[in-house]
Amino acid sequence: MAQTHQPDDPIATLEDVSVTYDDGTSFVLDNVSLHVERGEILGIVGESGSGKSMLASSLLDAIPDPGYLSGSITYQAEEKTIDVLELGQSELRSLRWEEISMVFQGAMSSFNPTMQIRDHFIETIEAHNGGVQAGMDRARQLLSDLYLDPDRVLESYPHELSGGMQQRALIALSLVLDPELLVMDEPTAALDLLMQQSILLLLRELQEKYQLTMIFITHDLALVGALADRLAVMYAFDIVELAPKQQLLSNPSHPYTRALLNSTPNLQAPLAEMRPIEGQSPAPINVPSGCSYNPRCPLATEECRTTDPAMDSPAPEHSVACFYWEKAQWEIELNYATDQPGGDHS
Amino acid sequence: MSEEPPLLELDSVTVAFENRPGLFEFGDESEQVRAVDDVSLTIETNDVVSLVGESGCGKTTLGKTAIGLQRPTSGTVRYRGEDIWAIRDGSAETTQSWEDVRSSLQIIHQDPGSSLNPNRRLLSILSEPLRQVRPALGASERRERIYSLLERVGMNPAPDFADRYPHQLSGGEQQRVALARALLMNPDVILADEAISALDVSLRVEMMDLMLELQAVFDTSFIFISHDLSNARYFTQHASGKIAVMYLGRIAEISSAEQLIHNPQHPYTSVLRWATPDLGGDVSTPEEIPMRTIDVPDPVDPPSGCRFHTRCPEAREHCTAVEPDPLPAGGADVRCFRVRDGSPYWNSPRLEEEESSSS
Repeated sequence: MAQTHQPDDPIATLEDVSVTYDDGTSFVLDNVSLHVERGEILGIVGESGSGKSMLASSLLDAIPDPGYLSGSITYQAEEKTIDVLELGQSELRSLRWEEISMVFQGAMSSFNPTMQIRDHFIETIEAHNGGVQAGMDRARQLLSDLYLDPDRVLESYPHELSGGMQQRALIALSLVLDPELLVMDEPTAALDLLMQQSILLLLRELQEKYQLTMIFITHDLALVGALADRLAVMYAFDIVELAPKQQLLSNPSHPYTRALLNSTPNLQAPLAEMRPIEGQSPAPINVPSGCSYNPRCPLATEECRTTDPAMDSPAPEHSVACFYWEKAQWEIELNYATDQPGGDHS
Repeated sequence: MSEEPPLLELDSVTVAFENRPGLFEFGDESEQVRAVDDVSLTIETNDVVSLVGESGCGKTTLGKTAIGLQRPTSGTVRYRGEDIWAIRDGSAETTQSWEDVRSSLQIIHQDPGSSLNPNRRLLSILSEPLRQVRPALGASERRERIYSLLERVGMNPAPDFADRYPHQLSGGEQQRVALARALLMNPDVILADEAISALDVSLRVEMMDLMLELQAVFDTSFIFISHDLSNARYFTQHASGKIAVMYLGRIAEISSAEQLIHNPQHPYTSVLRWATPDLGGDVSTPEEIPMRTIDVPDPVDPPSGCRFHTRCPEAREHCTAVEPDPLPAGGADVRCFRVRDGSPYWNSPRLEEEESSSS
């Protein structure tokens, strides 16, 4: 699907990226196009099995075998443009960590349980031929940026830290080689809400301090809403709506986005108005023709069943893949109060 | 007065875990953690009590103690007025057997995938508990009961699902099976320990609705454990139950869902409220964490006085010395001096900002 507006200074650009398995019969990423603006925090939201983790892995050309990745992914380094899918093994290794770094859910499985945290940092720095002294100075600074006591944490084994401390130490580790882009896949999902929110605040501080670009992938729209500058909503292996955060939350335009927002437990909404989304997300082998959301969509017509909607633009920088986004704004009511009601487009 | 005793009653329950030094560790000081410290709680018939709090606050230990999976170090747990551990030990004159108690108090775990045997079909997984409680039931009757229950939890067509293995189900469906299995025992209380936390946000309301619907049919009470205040509020308010906020083994505040969300009394409740994302209105990034430190203190050595004082944004000198007792305030029970106008707290100096580790 086409972008509806031109980015100013993209750090990463995806064009028509697909990931297929079984000789092209099942898509787990279906022609996704997206740019990531330098210095922004982009939130990518989707349910389990919507393809959001595949999107993250594609950025680093790290699709699990035997998946086949096609399309084009370019990364804009300071002086040159890198075509990620053309890189050899050693170039790819230096792209990972030094330019683009990733943090996954569950720090416990990312750390080696028999190594002190300090050794993880040293190993990472040495593997990329960095100076250990300077690298460790940076590590200590990052740890204290994350409200951790560097002396104590570096001497600890992973199991000696709480889940929240481990996850913060992992974020520090991912930043030790000074990457430009940090991709996080459900980085806080295993933690309690209070720790999740605290980490989100710290990420915002890190982003400003080190001028990072961040991609934050989650199934929890409400959580990432507080952090992100822009939000992308994924459904059935493609992005269906993309907009600046405030715009997306106050004027969601895809019927799926509106249903997703209404299904989210919310302290403000009246109880009776929280309701689940009817039906189930499609499996990769059996994506409906036309708009992939049409079997669950209350507004679907014959057109939706036959034609895949192109991106339309309800507002500047806001793109949505739906023929009836105006109708959706009117007819699918949100269960929480928004600043600007969406009903001014008759 | 011959009032019915409450369904489940915890009276001054303490659960302590001891960490003895290992073979290769020197010294002989054993460390003790009081995961639950002097907690009293009552659960009525058709009731919902939610336990919320951070990881490690003792909510799971309290829940397991309530349903007899964890023996308290001190205090008593009474089921229909009788001490369940006395029943267990056979040391009480009772009308109930330990088997009755055990089957009346059930649990659903956070991760349904690992609580269902991967090598067996659903029919066989669900037959097992029925064989235990209803040995007289014939195979076809058993199957009928299982099918009707599977339909009840929304798994249609039931014969088709009954023939599947757990890995052939989605996470939401696995959790429904776990719920069905618990319901087969006709329990009075189900402990739902983070039962919806592993599900996608969009599936949580559906699962909670199902549990509420079944509560009405089966007259079951729920102990609902969650770290997410908005889920606890949804579940509890629908059932007109109570939410207990736990902090380091103690109940900091307990009240109705409505009151707790809209008029939190304990500063810790307000912090949890802050951590719960809101969609509407103000979605701008909050600037500061409303606590003095991020991490929970080591439970081996809990802070003196009020346990929350090391993180509390409102803490004063008085809080470091004296621990507040639970005080009634507007329908809630709150362990905080701030709910009393005449408390010495108000004349005590504010705590200095502690040096945080960030420089």
